[in-house]
Amino acid sequence: MRRRTTLTAAVAVLALTTGCGAADMTKQASPFANARGARTVTLSVQSWVGSLANVAVAQYLLEHELGYRVDLVQIDEVPAWDALSQGRVDAILEDWGHPEQEQLYVEDKKTIARGGGLGVTGHIGWFVPTYFAEQHPDIKDWKNLNKYADRFRTAESGGKGQLMDGSPAYLTHDKALVKNLNLNYQVVFAGSEAAQITQIKQFAKEKKPFLTYWYTPQWLSAKVPMTEVELPPYKEGCDADAAKVACAYPHTPLQKYLNADFAESGGEAADFLKKFRWTTEDQNEVSLMIADQKLTPAEAAKKWVDGHESTWRAWLS
Amino acid sequence: MALAAPTRKPPNDDSTEAPVFAVDGLWKVFGPKAARVPEDPELSALSPAELRERAGCTAAVRDVSFDVRKGEVFVVMGLSGSGKSTLVRCLTRLIEPTAGTIAIDGEDVRAMDKARLRELRRHRAAMVFQHFGLLPHRTVLDNVAYGLQIQGIGKAERRERAAEVVAKVGLEGMEQRRPGQLSGGQRQRVGLARALAVDPEVLLFDEPFSALDPLIRRDMQEEVIRLHEEEGRTMVFITHDLQEALRLGDRIALMRDGRIVQLGTPEEIVGSPADDYVRDFVRDVPREQVMTVRRAMRPASAEDAGNGPAVPPEATVAEAIEAVARAGAPARVVDEGRCVGVVDSDALLGVVAGVAAPGDADPDAGAV
Amino acid sequence: MATLTAPTPRTALPGVLRHRATRKLVTLAALAAVLVPLAHTHWAGGTWPQALTVDLSGPLGGASDWIIDNRDSHPLFLYFFGHVSNAVVVSVRVVYLFLLAAGWAGVTALGAAVAWRVAGARLALGTAAALLVCGLLGMWVPTMQTLALMVVAVLASVAVGALLGLAAGLSDRMDRALRPVLDTMQVLPAFAYLLPVVLVFGIGVPAAVLATVIYAAPPMARLTALGLRGADKEVLEAVDSLGATARQRLLTARVPLARKELLLGVNQTIMMALSMAVIASVIGAGGLGDRVYQALASVDVGAALAAGIPIVLLAVVLDRVTGAAGERLGQDQHGPRPWLHAAAAAAATVVVALAARLAGRLDWPTGWTVGIAGPVNRAVDWMTAHLYSGVPYVGGTADWAGRFTTWVLDPVRSGLQWLPWWSVLLIVAALAWLIGTWRTALTAVLAMAAIGVLGVWKPSLDTLSQVLAAVAVTLVLGFAIGIAAARSDRVERLLRPVLDVFQTMPQFVYLIPVVALFGVGRAPAVAAAVVYALPAVVRITAQGLRQVDPAALESARSLGATSGQQLRQVQLPLARPALLLAVNQGVVLVLAVVIIGGLVGGGALGYDVVFGLAQGDLATGLVAGAAIVCLGLMLDRVTQPTRRRAKKGA
Repeated sequence: MRRRTTLTAAVAVLALTTGCGAADMTKQASPFANARGARTVTLSVQSWVGSLANVAVAQYLLEHELGYRVDLVQIDEVPAWDALSQGRVDAILEDWGHPEQEQLYVEDKKTIARGGGLGVTGHIGWFVPTYFAEQHPDIKDWKNLNKYADRFRTAESGGKGQLMDGSPAYLTHDKALVKNLNLNYQVVFAGSEAAQITQIKQFAKEKKPFLTYWYTPQWLSAKVPMTEVELPPYKEGCDADAAKVACAYPHTPLQKYLNADFAESGGEAADFLKKFRWTTEDQNEVSLMIADQKLTPAEAAKKWVDGHESTWRAWLS
Repeated sequence: MALAAPTRKPPNDDSTEAPVFAVDGLWKVFGPKAARVPEDPELSALSPAELRERAGCTAAVRDVSFDVRKGEVFVVMGLSGSGKSTLVRCLTRLIEPTAGTIAIDGEDVRAMDKARLRELRRHRAAMVFQHFGLLPHRTVLDNVAYGLQIQGIGKAERRERAAEVVAKVGLEGMEQRRPGQLSGGQRQRVGLARALAVDPEVLLFDEPFSALDPLIRRDMQEEVIRLHEEEGRTMVFITHDLQEALRLGDRIALMRDGRIVQLGTPEEIVGSPADDYVRDFVRDVPREQVMTVRRAMRPASAEDAGNGPAVPPEATVAEAIEAVARAGAPARVVDEGRCVGVVDSDALLGVVAGVAAPGDADPDAGAV
Repeated sequence: MATLTAPTPRTALPGVLRHRATRKLVTLAALAAVLVPLAHTHWAGGTWPQALTVDLSGPLGGASDWIIDNRDSHPLFLYFFGHVSNAVVVSVRVVYLFLLAAGWAGVTALGAAVAWRVAGARLALGTAAALLVCGLLGMWVPTMQTLALMVVAVLASVAVGALLGLAAGLSDRMDRALRPVLDTMQVLPAFAYLLPVVLVFGIGVPAAVLATVIYAAPPMARLTALGLRGADKEVLEAVDSLGATARQRLLTARVPLARKELLLGVNQTIMMALSMAVIASVIGAGGLGDRVYQALASVDVGAALAAGIPIVLLAVVLDRVTGAAGERLGQDQHGPRPWLHAAAAAAATVVVALAARLAGRLDWPTGWTVGIAGPVNRAVDWMTAHLYSGVPYVGGTADWAGRFTTWVLDPVRSGLQWLPWWSVLLIVAALAWLIGTWRTALTAVLAMAAIGVLGVWKPSLDTLSQVLAAVAVTLVLGFAIGIAAARSDRVERLLRPVLDVFQTMPQFVYLIPVVALFGVGRAPAVAAAVVYALPAVVRITAQGLRQVDPAALESARSLGATSGQQLRQVQLPLARPALLLAVNQGVVLVLAVVIIGGLVGGGALGYDVVFGLAQGDLATGLVAGAAIVCLGLMLDRVTQPTRRRAKKGA
């Protein structure tokens, strides 16, 4: 009896505090947003530094030129789409192509709006360090990979050569590729980009050979020059069946996406983010400052902004 | 010849007054399907070991009957495991009895509903526990006031009443301490005060002093005797200490294996043990301290009248010995100015030695 | 009397044990003799038979799609989860806005005032200093975000835990139902909780808070139940004898009597919540955890440390303050007018906050920050540069890692995977039965079998091999250090702050240095696990050895035992329960980090969980999470002596 009263009371309290109607949690923003009256924009950062560079410059300009407060949330790509749809994030500045999510959120639900291109073209591929490619030029063709397999052996790969993959968040067909191209390699997942970069740097310091899943633009390429291994050429639709992939990764013009409501009513910030467009070199410049010179993202952004006024003035007009 | 005053008030002999507690055929059986044990004459006749084997049950209290009279100190004595602690808890149904009847002032305790039972516990019977059972997070004063708080009495009033009781048990100045800061004896005074604070009709003591040092135990016993003399409150006192039972009890129920093996005054227990177990139990008791001259006297002949010192019938044998030794002659037992008998040194020695005294012929002779 | 009887059971024990052990083993062997040929003829081969697996990817994928499609329309979400989520967002926001409104000065003053009230002046100073350091490191706003999240998560955990604990404490049936659940939740790695919560609530603060509550409420529930059940029986009887109603009994006696356990529960809940606050950054918790996570992405140990230090400081301060509050309970700390002190503290806070606001210093002044990232990174770089390889004689850490992988991890893994599946089950059964009852054995075997049924037998054995290797290293190091700490006060004094820091430092912070030293792969995962589990093992070992009955030690000394003999013949045998506990804790903690090791190339189940989270792939992530749960359950049962045994051994 008493238990029932308590339950009723609890339900009543819940109903009173939350409002009696429906609560659509897909429309709830972050509790940290818009604190103390400032207009806040929440940007999604992905775990790679290029993405951090975009966000750092956007944040700097939003805060210093437009007077917004910017919150950053680090989320992996696929969940970020979900968060963007819910409005917990206002914008993704660098997307490498997620056709499934695009269909669902942009076309069907219309909760996400396209924000135009970032101006940077991304490409995924297999890379070896240039110092190794120079000694063994034929490594550039995938057909010769098996010849060098034992040079790439590590404790983790056992008897085979090691193909190092990075974060599980990234798009990869590497296991299928190794199998379908009959390569004597073992895919070893570094588990995070941070781990992968750290490992590459250690290898490079020792001038050891390594084969890695990598992508451009990437700031590390400036520190550790890498040469791509050419896989069978990419043709439209050759990666449709993930298990049967036997071709290279495509070149992807990176895209921006905005939460649909934010795109409509986000004012200056939304307009600015739609116009935000720079080059691979710009992005790498900022990335390198952050990741290699260990500047804080804000310092790096300030440096770049100071030197490229003509570029960003156009975004604000 | 000055005589020591009797150590305790004579038991209330008003048999017309209803007993405070009337217990009849009480059983408490622990274990599966406990209720069948008292009902089944075959099971109820088994010894504890057999019962455990046959039914998987333990009978802590077996067919116990007694009355507690108003104003008396009723002691239940027994060794550990004899069922005495279970018995006292059955009185207010802290442990639910299995069978039998309990009546307080004629009202059936086992038939009480929850509210009535709470009323009984709140106002009519309060208990003092072996390990005190104090709330460690409360001050002495609030511990004493706890029973009043449970009754719903306001803070100011209950503190005021508690303060009086605290003074009564001799803990003035310690009101703001916590139980952790008190000695064992002081803690038990708090426990006693807590029980007294609710002004109950009966005080129940469950081996209250057995966790205390001997000297402190003695103090506390005297405290109880003093309280009893001052207030005349009915008390049920559980103990495993024979000395304590004899000191405090108006009547003693001696328990063994859940049964009462003998119920009587200290003098009866010591003077006429019901069986070998009891005899063994009381063997080392200094009999002259317990037995009264009534037990040792012989009818007064004509020549005894007018000679020798006079002692009252409730005087102990030890007192009579002193009187006889001083006078060098047998003493007269004088009850309300009438000489009812004579004790001589032979009879007194017989009591001390435990050799059958004249009074022993009739087991009821000692009953007052 | 006691000294006379005590030696008898002790000398008799091994004999009895051996007897019981052989009986158990014989039973098991007989059972195996019947079942194994049967199983073998049906499903031959080393790995778990395909026929006995259930493929959950279809239904799980369907469930995931359904949730995403219906999240904004289905009544279950609109009227239940939506409100829960909303309540979390609103309450976190309220706390956050309050903290921001109080400003750094106000929050510092408030923290110090609270610490002073409950724990005394020294801890008040410590609290203020800790909060100021958070500001100095440039982490004021993230610290406040984490604090806001923590306040809500801890309050919710305490409420949920206390309610569950109350139910389990008052009702035997609830206790029987809840106890195994709570025991199990206690040993599960935090990572396993994340995905299901994310699926329902999406990425963000609500999911983070709820995952934290699920993680942090069990200790509160356990301790509440323990406190309520452990109350002095006679006190409760006394309360009954005075005619208390059930409610009076609960409110005036049972709850106050359990307050030590309740405070300990709050303390543990806070610590668990803090450790989860960082892990939950993976699902969008924001705050300090997010800063650590972001720093990790740019391989910036210094920045990760700058965000990690406030977490450590918060943890240490909260631990000490709640701990001190618990110790003060028994004493008479309340003056005549406690509310007066509280009012004074509140007034002081308001004054300070207002003063800061009027002075225009509400936000942490931008100039007042100290960058530690640079020097720390230089130090880490120097360390990795000099230790990674080519160290004379001992070889570099990379060589160690390689050798460890080749000579330890690989053989253990291939050995485990080579074993026929039924023999793995048999070994698990034998171990669990020897140390516990047939019930524990059954639970362990069922958990292991469930892993096979889920179809993740191989990766689970891979994870298991890492756990075993890491536990072995942890125990060797932990016992050695623990013995040293138990024997020398100076060592213990030196160790204490180090242990504190490592126990509270978010695991993410040392993942990068570990990779820099040991490369990518399973070796760094093992190394991180050792670093994480070592403090607990050292602490429990040292405590166990120090708590050995001084009388026993004295008698050994009086017989002229050398200190080595004392250790071997008296201290270690008597501290056996503590050592077993250390093993159990070591296993549980190691498993938690080996899973996180998925982020540094540990592969196996950890990678699957990370993958599931990153790709929103419920089928992979949830199955791996379930396998981790089973693995944790199995490992716990195999290393946890049951109470029955403990009683017999005592």
